[in-house]
Amino acid sequence: MSSDTDISRRQFMGATAAVVGAAAFASLAFGAEPVTNRPKINAKDFTQDVQETDVLVIGGGMAALFAAVKAHDAGAKVTMVSKGRLGSSGLTPFAKGIFSYDKSNASMSIDDFVAKVSESAIGTNNPVFTRQLAEHSYDRVQELKSWGFFDSALYANSFLRPIEARDIPLIERVMITHLLKEKGRVVGASGFSLDENKIIHFSAKTVVLCTGSGGFKPSGFPVCDLTHDGSIMAYDIGARVTGKEWNDGHPASAENSGSSYDNWHGQIEEKPMTTEVRINHHLGVDLNYKAYMQGGPVAMGPPRPGGKSDNESTQLSGGPYVPAAFRETGGPPPPRPQQEQGLFSLFRQNKHDGPPGMGGESVGGSSAGMAIHKSEGLVPVDDTGLSTVPGLYAAGDALGSYMSGGIYTQIGSSLAGSAVQGAVAGEAAALASADVTRIPVAEAKLNQIREEILAPLKREKGYSPAWVTQVLQAVMIPNFVLYIKFVLYIKKERMMNGALAYVEELKEHHVPMLLAEDRHQLRLAHETRNMIVTAEMKLKASLMRKESRCSHYRLDYPDTDTENWQAWINIYKDDDGNMQLEKQAFGNWPVSI
Amino acid sequence: MPIHQINGCIGCKTCISTCPTDVIQFDEKRKKAVIAYPEDCQICHLCRLYCPVNAITITPEKSIPVMVSWR
Repeated sequence: MSSDTDISRRQFMGATAAVVGAAAFASLAFGAEPVTNRPKINAKDFTQDVQETDVLVIGGGMAALFAAVKAHDAGAKVTMVSKGRLGSSGLTPFAKGIFSYDKSNASMSIDDFVAKVSESAIGTNNPVFTRQLAEHSYDRVQELKSWGFFDSALYANSFLRPIEARDIPLIERVMITHLLKEKGRVVGASGFSLDENKIIHFSAKTVVLCTGSGGFKPSGFPVCDLTHDGSIMAYDIGARVTGKEWNDGHPASAENSGSSYDNWHGQIEEKPMTTEVRINHHLGVDLNYKAYMQGGPVAMGPPRPGGKSDNESTQLSGGPYVPAAFRETGGPPPPRPQQEQGLFSLFRQNKHDGPPGMGGESVGGSSAGMAIHKSEGLVPVDDTGLSTVPGLYAAGDALGSYMSGGIYTQIGSSLAGSAVQGAVAGEAAALASADVTRIPVAEAKLNQIREEILAPLKREKGYSPAWVTQVLQAVMIPNFVLYIKFVLYIKKERMMNGALAYVEELKEHHVPMLLAEDRHQLRLAHETRNMIVTAEMKLKASLMRKESRCSHYRLDYPDTDTENWQAWINIYKDDDGNMQLEKQAFGNWPVSI
Repeated sequence: MPIHQINGCIGCKTCISTCPTDVIQFDEKRKKAVIAYPEDCQICHLCRLYCPVNAITITPEKSIPVMVSWR
């Protein structure tokens, strides 16, 4: 990018772009003076050690569970490390439907399933991963059943069962901030404990990233512990990432919009259930379009008898394109069967208004900063989830597998896809580790990483991560930036350029001055940096994709462009440290890099 | 307040590890869990659901202004 472009963006800040954030949070003026740091702990007290393993699994959700189990069963020495508790962090604890394709009793063949998903996804899915989901989901569900997964609404015990049975070391509440790279391949990872003044370096032969995706710590969706950590640390060592222009469009209830629990209508306390083939074209972005064009109130889902009036039934011209086969016709929705099986039976119970955010008046932005499950993450170079960095694998929402494409196509596929991809990646990482000679990391490099991890504790003046995050939210969450309702939902070039000026300022000026006074704020500081780099990716990818398709909607380019955009966007850091974007044709996978 | 109070804590620390966003800390002197960072509570209720003695009370309002769209 030329410096001229940068300057023109800066000039934007004084004019158009200023309305983006400042209007929402008038108190969050950019001109705030740095504050003085008053650390409660001393960076010098942090101990440092190195732990060795064959396969390092980073994460504590569904993908990490299966990656660790299958890597162990393939003969490797495995270690799990997670920022949170196994089965109680990331989005996994809140996913209550898991897709199970039973070949002996399926309503359509696997070929038909893959074709139908591709039709809904308008070609944005990778059929190799769509097929893998269908082929393996049933077996993973049976294993989960044997561990007691379906017997409790809480997953920690059933997840721990196979890990303890295999004696796999599990290290919880350690935030990994860096991947280690030597001689062109990944050789481990580094992070710090949330419970004691301790830095841990892991020396590994292969690494499986199961770190989920993330958001901008939005209100009303339980994604606030996911900040795209995996994608950004992989990007930092040269991996390609993809999928940053797609958008999850979950709304929140207008009442108590900050409460994830209330938005999910008690679903958090339900036991998980399996789902069968049911292919949709679930946008969410369409609601944002309505709110942008007409203002609130708006509601998602079928109108409720005697409920508040809303504009749900109002037909607007224009807006996001829905393939003909998936369009809902006008008039009342078809009645649901009295006895629906699986997850849908939940929504018929008392006090259930439906899936998260549905039912009643809605507000936008509850999952802001998150893309469609399985669409954003590391670019795979084969069907095991191997990334463009040798030895580094990813699975679940950390992998840009495009299992569903840029749109939700199958209820319950998110959780099932994480199980399936975790198992495949874990086994592949174990087999690959057998052929790798351990490459040690120089002590000088470990000390440099230690300095980078602890830097926010050592700064005397700077900015609190909470404040910088609020500025980022104010810039990125309004529907007219990325969505109609967010910067990221209803997209216009002018607004995205304005937002990009803010985000680049945050990255260049504020990230190097983030403060931490304790380990909690140290975590927030690293998370904030990861969110800001992600925001830059999302804006640049959304600016580049000059068309509308699936969950990416441009007001200035409302049509699908099949001539120029039968392609995904991959993002990487070039040799000079600059962010680069490139197209990868749908039919050109895997691509050798 | 989001996570509102912990009343009757037995000091098992389950809620501390269970909270995805690191809201709860352990008071070493009193041997009890304390709400340290309520502004980071995502009101998901996992701490309450995992607490073995039902000690945690949660209300649906955030402790800081909620950033949403169009309202």
